[in-house]
Amino acid sequence: MILQLQITDPYFSDKSKAITALQTVIDPELYINVIDLGLVYEIEFTLNQELIVTMTLSTPHCPLEQAIKNGVNNVLSPIFPTYNIIIHLVWEPVWNFSMMTESARNELGY
Amino acid sequence: MNHSVGNAPEIYAVLPFYITAAFFFLLLTIMLFFGSSQFVAHYFEGKTLALVHTAALGWITMIIFGAAYQLLPVLFECNLFSSKLAFLSYCCLLIGTSMLIYTFWNFIQGWFMIIGGILVFLSSLLYLINVLLTAKLSMNLKVDNFFIISSSFYFLVTTIIGVLLVINLKYPYFNVSHLEILKIHAHIGFVGWFIQLITGVSVRLAPMFLLSRSEKKTLLKYAFLLQNIGLLLFIFDYYFMGSSSRTYLYLFIIALGIANWLLYLYDTFKNRLKKKIEIQMRFTMLSFIFLTGVLLIAFCILIFSNKQGIILYGVYIFMGWLSALIIGKTFKTLPFIVWNYKYKSIHGKMKIPMPKDLYIEKWIQYQYWLFISAMVILTIGILLQLIYIIRLGLLIWILIAILYIVNVFKVIFHKVQIHNDTTITNN
Repeated sequence: MILQLQITDPYFSDKSKAITALQTVIDPELYINVIDLGLVYEIEFTLNQELIVTMTLSTPHCPLEQAIKNGVNNVLSPIFPTYNIIIHLVWEPVWNFSMMTESARNELGY
Repeated sequence: MNHSVGNAPEIYAVLPFYITAAFFFLLLTIMLFFGSSQFVAHYFEGKTLALVHTAALGWITMIIFGAAYQLLPVLFECNLFSSKLAFLSYCCLLIGTSMLIYTFWNFIQGWFMIIGGILVFLSSLLYLINVLLTAKLSMNLKVDNFFIISSSFYFLVTTIIGVLLVINLKYPYFNVSHLEILKIHAHIGFVGWFIQLITGVSVRLAPMFLLSRSEKKTLLKYAFLLQNIGLLLFIFDYYFMGSSSRTYLYLFIIALGIANWLLYLYDTFKNRLKKKIEIQMRFTMLSFIFLTGVLLIAFCILIFSNKQGIILYGVYIFMGWLSALIIGKTFKTLPFIVWNYKYKSIHGKMKIPMPKDLYIEKWIQYQYWLFISAMVILTIGILLQLIYIIRLGLLIWILIAILYIVNVFKVIFHKVQIHNDTTITNN
């Protein structure tokens, strides 16, 4: 599952901003941002002023889970102050290497 | 599928183990230097027992406990059952080990030594309880979890036999040789506790660190069966029948179990996405070379049965295999634990250091080459029984320990660095 953004999406502009912000959230083990790692599955804006980020981690029950979630929340909150940020952590589909961007793979020397 | 998520264990359940282990490591290298005559003496001597227990309990088990409490949630995919229980096991292990080392070094047999042994036994019991109750919370037990559970049981058995041994020193009651029981105690600790725990942890962490996976899970099942069958046959045969040529067979079965585990790790390594090999992982690879050396020496001891071989066997287990593994893994775990504690709440808010910025990586590279030099010099010194060569190797070990302890303290006492001028705004 790779995060996709359509230009026809009514929230295109906001989602672009969110993706740019999430590109600054770095996985402390791999030193690659969560977007390029393919950890973010979906970004959704609801009419109830909720910003729902559906994401996963490369390892279930990773000790850095809270740090990464805080990172996501901390970069999105200042940009979308009127939205309630909800991070939805999921384990299906299971994250795999094919979800990474090419640049992320290159960074790992692959 | 949305899982409720947990947190890392409390910091007091992990950090005290790392701090104390670093002190014991330095103490061990100093004791080795001043007790270097033990390298040419019989292995059943008070000072040798003190050295072995400083290494096995103060250095290796201490840090293994700390790392295990941190990693049990990852391994079992659920929260650690109790951080308080973990801290209690730390207190028992610290006090018990200190009492044992002191009494062994001065060879003071009696209740002080026995109480030290009982405290170490209690720490192993508390650890086992925490592992079992954490496993009970887990909904998804895998083969690597069985290694963790079995190793905890073996550690408990090792400490029970240890208590019986120290009681027997003061009030002899064994109807079999004390030395024969000592060998069983040592090998349950080596094969049951250390090898099985490291097998269980490594097969989960290697894919994480290397971004890899192996589909050859059957190798792990064989590894579990063979390591346990070999060890149990050895224990019962050795206890009831004494030393025999059958020991070759048991050692071969255990070695086959280890080979299956290493083949699994090799497959993981081969399929890795992260091509660059960090210095910490180089230490891990080096440790496996020494583990192979341990097995070869074990076969040689069975055939030739000489004093140098036995000393080298112990040195390769504690200083070669286990120390290489721990020195490397300390800097793959500790900086993340401390970083997580200090920066988790402000991650993403502003520019902050990353875990690799918390220690001096170059020092680990120096340690790597010093480690190889020290082990080569020690091997030559032990084989040739040349005390001044042995002392030279041990001096290098003191240097390695100093670099290690300073780097560990640099991580632990890291002060939070926030660059307000570079606060991320994203507008």
